[in-house]
Amino acid sequence: MKVSEALKVIDDGWVKKPKGFRVHFQKQENSEWVTEYSPGEQENALDSDVVAWRLAWKLAEASNSNTPDNADGAFVNIYVVDDSGNPIKYYASNQFEVFNRRDI
Amino acid sequence: MEVTGTFEKYKEMGDLIASQGQTFVIALVILVVGLIVIKQVYKLLRLLLERFALKQQTISTVNNIVCIILLVLIVATALEHLGMNTLVIRRVIFLVSLAVIGIIAIFRPLIPTLPFKVGNTVKVGDLLGKIEATTLLNTRMRTFDGRTVFIPNSKIVNDFVINYHFTKTRRIKVDVGIRYDQDILKAKQILETIMIEDPRVLLKPARPMVYVLSMADNCIMLGGRCWVNNLKYWTTRCELIEKTKLRFDQEGITIAFPQLDVHHYHGDALPEFHGEKTQRS
Repeated sequence: MKVSEALKVIDDGWVKKPKGFRVHFQKQENSEWVTEYSPGEQENALDSDVVAWRLAWKLAEASNSNTPDNADGAFVNIYVVDDSGNPIKYYASNQFEVFNRRDI
Repeated sequence: MEVTGTFEKYKEMGDLIASQGQTFVIALVILVVGLIVIKQVYKLLRLLLERFALKQQTISTVNNIVCIILLVLIVATALEHLGMNTLVIRRVIFLVSLAVIGIIAIFRPLIPTLPFKVGNTVKVGDLLGKIEATTLLNTRMRTFDGRTVFIPNSKIVNDFVINYHFTKTRRIKVDVGIRYDQDILKAKQILETIMIEDPRVLLKPARPMVYVLSMADNCIMLGGRCWVNNLKYWTTRCELIEKTKLRFDQEGITIAFPQLDVHHYHGDALPEFHGEKTQRS
């Protein structure tokens, strides 16, 4: 096997390299829970998970301070996903983290 | 006789001013108003072109060409109003243009050029910033903390200049020292994983690598090296360092810091140095 082929196998299997990150959150609109992403699915994803987690944290803080639970506009279940929509670990704790966790 | 001759000259000038004065004034007004109009057109055109997200150099070039054409038209209009023949004006403009183009074409290779363009990020001496404009004598640079610096072109030509726009990629160094009692292989693997899993880290011109740089006084120095796009260098570098520290903490890898061992001896007993007994005084 050539080295280039071996490296390709390694790149596909060893470390997952996402192409972008989005912040997943849910909010209530007209008594229904709606899932949204920031940046939107039609926009380019963020290329930094640090920036994405920071955005998620700020959204959670803003939501906690401004709106009561389950009111219109409150953001819950905030976490970061990759370009495939899979949750990614929080880089600070290396664990899956969800801000403003709510059972819906 | 001389007095009469001088008087006649002044009389002729007076007659000329009386007959042609109005024409001169109007021509002067055309020039002045024209220059004011050119200045306003310059500002408005710049604002308009900036909306199309063009490069600064392109905006400056288009602006300058339009303003030169307008200036030539205004000067031609003023001269025509003075009574000059239109054909003569056109010939003069044509000849002047040819001469200017010829001089530029002949002497341009001999003129030292600046090693950057407007919009490039460069470092001149200790100054790091973005080039906003260049003139014949100096270059205007805006530093990243908001200062505007005017650098003489002579200093740029005679000094080292780093242009960060010449190459599209740049290498990041993530150097971290770990204690001697730590697992080197685990630390290398963690650092390499951090670099590889970042979407901004490129596989070309070289894959991310971790090297054991040295066994220093206080630590074993590991050096992570990876390549990113020039525009993403700073933020990627800072975030990789942050992630390295956090991940090392999570995995139990202790980052070394300079430390000094101090031995404190009690009583009269002092250690022997080179076989010689020592006494407290």
